[in-house]
Amino acid sequence: MIKAKSKPIEEIVDYITPYRDVLIVGCGGCVSVCLAGGQKEVNILQTELELLRDKTKTDGQFSGFTVERQCNEQYLGVLDDMVETADCVLSMACGAGVQLLAERYPNKPVFPAVNTIAIGVDLDVGLYEERCRACGECVLAYTAGICPVTRCAKGLFNGPCGGTNGDKCEISPDINCAWHEIYTRLKAQDRLEDILKIHPPMQWQNQIKRTIVQKGYEQRYHQE
Amino acid sequence: MGTTTEINTDTIQSILKQNKKQIKLGLAMCAHCSLCAESCFLFVSHDNDPEYMPSYKFINSIGKLYKKKGKVSRQVLEDMRDLVFEKCALCTRCYCPFGIDIPALITLGRNVCRSQGLFREYDREW
Repeated sequence: MIKAKSKPIEEIVDYITPYRDVLIVGCGGCVSVCLAGGQKEVNILQTELELLRDKTKTDGQFSGFTVERQCNEQYLGVLDDMVETADCVLSMACGAGVQLLAERYPNKPVFPAVNTIAIGVDLDVGLYEERCRACGECVLAYTAGICPVTRCAKGLFNGPCGGTNGDKCEISPDINCAWHEIYTRLKAQDRLEDILKIHPPMQWQNQIKRTIVQKGYEQRYHQE
Repeated sequence: MGTTTEINTDTIQSILKQNKKQIKLGLAMCAHCSLCAESCFLFVSHDNDPEYMPSYKFINSIGKLYKKKGKVSRQVLEDMRDLVFEKCALCTRCYCPFGIDIPALITLGRNVCRSQGLFREYDREW
């Protein structure tokens, strides 16, 4: 799932200082799971901001509301009246949620309250690690389930660079070389031939907004 | 559990009032045909447990609140929280042959729970 982290409170205050009434909008999806932007975090941020505003003796008020998913317009209707009366919106969703809110309310400033970090795994409660950068051309089939885009500092596709130092990456002795791990796992599975083929550079697709149409839905969403 | 111990019935009634038409229509239209069950991946993956049926979930959350005019105990709401948060992923894939917008009704159930400080706690130790 998508993992996010709260922005420093100073940065958030900087965004909202010119505005009087602020609506904080949480999301019940991924950011709730990673404890960054769910209802609990909305309550905490609201309290923090209220305390800061009390300290500086400035006017205005904060209100909070959590929708089930900010990345689905179907759940945003309930916000319409609240956004109307607010001067600005602080979204605690991932980048997709913030943008959908900003699209729905083009006349209202919408600010992010979290940094969207990665698609990652849950190691423990509150502990997450990146595993995927959503590059759109998954190569895990031939890299033994280890992502070179995410785990190799250079995102190399055809083996390690000259800087590999045994099983460590040249940028830090604390970071494992992804290609060493790929080699070791493939060797254990007797699949080393998988990395003998040269793979061409990825056709980077991140220059345009990628749309996902699942198999079976092509006709429904086909555009001329 | 939640952040407060009391129930604010006025807030619940306000949500019910705002969405009265949709709730009433949904409850009236449901023929209990159980066709929605097969479209729920959680129902299928939980050995066809009837509590995972989409219709069961909306009838026993927002439906129950509507029938009781929002006058429910905190314990009832806590049970409802488990039903609408733990037993539904809100994937919006449930299918109703009569066109009932089941995800929207379950969302209303969640809205009521959230309004009373009851939501899924991902940092809860199980």
